[in-house]
Amino acid sequence: MRSGRWITQNEPLTYLNEATAIWLRDLRGEFRTRYAVNSILMFAVTTLVAVSFSIGSFRIGEAEKPFLCSVLLWIILVFSALSGLSRSFVKEEEAGTMDVLKLSARPQAVFLGKLFFNLTLLGALQLIIVPLFILLMNYKIASPGLFAAMIISGGLGLGAGTTIVAAMIAQASARGALFAVLSFPLLLPLMITAIKGCERAADGMNTAGWPEVRIAVAYTVIMIIMSLFLFPLIWEE
Amino acid sequence: MYSLKLSNICKHYTGTLLFKDISFELRPGEVLAITGWNGSGKSTLLRIIAGLVRPSLGKVEMFMGDEPIPKESRRKFLGMVAPALALYDELTALENMDFFCKVRGIAYDRESCLNMMERVGLTENANKTCRNYSSGMKQRLKLVQALLHSPPLLLLDEPGCNLDSNGMKIVEDIILEHRQLGMTVIASNEKREVDYAERAINLSE
Repeated sequence: MRSGRWITQNEPLTYLNEATAIWLRDLRGEFRTRYAVNSILMFAVTTLVAVSFSIGSFRIGEAEKPFLCSVLLWIILVFSALSGLSRSFVKEEEAGTMDVLKLSARPQAVFLGKLFFNLTLLGALQLIIVPLFILLMNYKIASPGLFAAMIISGGLGLGAGTTIVAAMIAQASARGALFAVLSFPLLLPLMITAIKGCERAADGMNTAGWPEVRIAVAYTVIMIIMSLFLFPLIWEE
Repeated sequence: MYSLKLSNICKHYTGTLLFKDISFELRPGEVLAITGWNGSGKSTLLRIIAGLVRPSLGKVEMFMGDEPIPKESRRKFLGMVAPALALYDELTALENMDFFCKVRGIAYDRESCLNMMERVGLTENANKTCRNYSSGMKQRLKLVQALLHSPPLLLLDEPGCNLDSNGMKIVEDIILEHRQLGMTVIASNEKREVDYAERAINLSE
């Protein structure tokens, strides 16, 4: 065996190329196993149905509706994310592929690849849950542009926050509990901002400047930059 | 020309000493065997060389000529096979190779990968998901993965693990061929594997 020397042509190795390879691998694996998708979607749909049956639209007064619906929507989104997004790193640990990934890719590329994967899952979750929520709760949105921007920017922040926590807890024993416990304080400022932003979009008052969207984008950028510095320390022993 | 140097490597876990003062140099064309009882730290020493585990004391250095290779870049210059190193079960063998090529910046060439798999006897199973592989087939695929980027340093932790006599012959061919240009470290207690090495370090002594 020529020790692999048939393969000599190298491609430019950028962080983006590496991260994309990891992202596509994770998507392919998820498409075949559906561990994270099933766990997130089942949790989200069950919670949504429970919420719509127990405190459906007819029990909420019009004045409280924008705020209450925003709270309920983000509780569903955040806790659904917490139910499955840790899988991105935990599955590497459980399958014993963590070391081979450490030997193959740079830490920052691994983080970005896992972040892209989590964002893809969150995007799919939001695409299904948000329209269903609007429909089932008869949630009227006065400013759809702001609402969409808030959902997207909130989702980006949620993905960034949960990805770094998932990396931190992957090698711990009580992963499920730790993931929720560590994520919650980190996500709380984002959650409050997103709830306020969605409430503002729903009632259509004081929508100028989209301050909550800006805060969520700033949160995402800070979280990603901080994670890119911290992740190599977590990733190594 | 590459070289590997270990200086006074010591490892202990929560107060228990695993090994201490491990020092050696390795140059292209050399094969080193690491032997010792179960739990003596053979696999840990290999993981320290690979940069997967930090030593408690001492340092591992790899050089390209006289230039030291930074620790974070060392992974590009080594290939590793170990029982604890798993490949992606939900992907086929070819998809695994495609992934490792892309993530290492190697242009993926299906024909080349198939050639490599033919050499380890996996061509017919190249499109099967690894979940359906036997442990011996997985071990063969790990060998392909380790050699994909033509690393100058090959770390083999029990390379004959789960392999039949044909598989052992493949390992032998790989070691003999790699010896022509590269450095090889084998952690094993199997006489047949240890015999490939000119030098041996016994961690139990």
